[in-house]
Amino acid sequence: MPRENYQARLDELGADVVAMGETVCDRLDDAIEAAVSGDEELARSVIETDHEVNETYLALEDECTELLALQQPVAGDLRLVTASFKIITDLERVADLATNVAAYGGPEGGVHDAVDVRALGDGAREMVADAVAAYAARDPDACRQIAASDDAFDDRCREASEAVVRELLEADRARNAARDGPEPTDGEALEASLDEVSQALLAVRDLERIADHAVNVAARTLYMIENDDELIY
Amino acid sequence: MSNTTSDDSLITTEVQADSNDDRAAPAAGTAVAARDLDVFYGDEQAIDDVTMEIPEKRVTALIGPSGCGKSTFLRCINRMNDMIEICRVEGDVEFGGKNVYDGDVDPVALRRKIGMVFQKPNPFPKSIRDNVAYGLKIQGFDGDVDARVEESLKGAALWDEVKDQLDSSGLELSGGQQQRLCIARAIAPDPEVILMDEPTSALDPVAASKIEDLIDDLAEEYTVIIVTHNMQQAARISDRTAVFLTGGELVEYDDTAKIFEDPEEQRVEDYITGKFG
Repeated sequence: MPRENYQARLDELGADVVAMGETVCDRLDDAIEAAVSGDEELARSVIETDHEVNETYLALEDECTELLALQQPVAGDLRLVTASFKIITDLERVADLATNVAAYGGPEGGVHDAVDVRALGDGAREMVADAVAAYAARDPDACRQIAASDDAFDDRCREASEAVVRELLEADRARNAARDGPEPTDGEALEASLDEVSQALLAVRDLERIADHAVNVAARTLYMIENDDELIY
Repeated sequence: MSNTTSDDSLITTEVQADSNDDRAAPAAGTAVAARDLDVFYGDEQAIDDVTMEIPEKRVTALIGPSGCGKSTFLRCINRMNDMIEICRVEGDVEFGGKNVYDGDVDPVALRRKIGMVFQKPNPFPKSIRDNVAYGLKIQGFDGDVDARVEESLKGAALWDEVKDQLDSSGLELSGGQQQRLCIARAIAPDPEVILMDEPTSALDPVAASKIEDLIDDLAEEYTVIIVTHNMQQAARISDRTAVFLTGGELVEYDDTAKIFEDPEEQRVEDYITGKFG
């Protein structure tokens, strides 16, 4: 086959994107575990090794740029390179969000009880893993399924957010009811409660964004496979 | 342009088109149409049953590996293949509502309407002015020759560079300028179609890019059909691309963006991505 070196570089790019995706999924696993358990060391590990994902991202970005500049890919090859160029950006963002999720565990352990971080986190992680697998297997049906599952995941995130706010309101109401007479509001307790709630809401938002990035990966993968941009818009 | 002495509406010198001809008329906006075209060099088939319509005032690129028949196809359009004794053409090439291979078509008249630019610049050993005016004199042009020379050189984006040396030899120009001089010579007789057979392959990148820009401008006035081995060039400058593969088969013909982003045929994808050919 002509242009063997070029073909080998395209194959390697695809394999490297999959490897990056698998690494990001591992980091996400650790981040979820740290958020659920409050394991500070694990959280620190996720945060401190994020630069490795960034370095992989930059190396793959360079490779895509060089392939475009020097090899002028067209047709399916062009879609592979341009889709990969976009996908690595999404994967890098997932890794960034994983560092956020890891940090939500905190020294006292765990996110607000109203948020099932394990379930939501695993759901988001599964979407990312499925998108990477769809890229690896060139599976258009899987891409469409991932995109179709996003609404259900958004619903789960919205319900989790509402549950957190509901608990905040109920706790505040209970505090007011427990107060006997015109005593001042317990500012410290309220502050702590607000911190916990805002952190829980941020965790939910980050997990929802991770799922959105998984959909982006699926959308670009479908474009790569079938030149179909229906999921991009 | 205007004011040629030949009959602009006909490609024949004496005989009118046959009004009883039952061939399907080309679609509106079609400059050239090939119908069931076969070309043979002796026993060797160079073009295999090609049917395609080439839109007017657009750039159409013909690409494919060496020996695929793309240059043969190009040369069929203005009957340059007539000069090859063993060449035999079957089927139709329609231009101006007529099959250019009909017996009543004068090839010289045809080539005034369908000009050609070759791979290597081939100016005559004459002055720049005479190079451009050559075709006009052949056709008995009785208008203002100097005005037409200036107009043609401007059309070929060469006027500013040579306006003060029109009496210098065309051979003194650089390769890129010589090619633009040949383009000026081709457009001087006011053709409708310009055929280009790898017009930049002998030029450096800067000169080639000037020709590419020029081709883009020419397509506002003329139909441009270009054979190129440079697929990036085809992608850059053409509106439509025809992919010929070995055996003279037209495998795919579509908008250039479609060909280079998502071709229908796997063989075309394999060819343009370099997997074969």
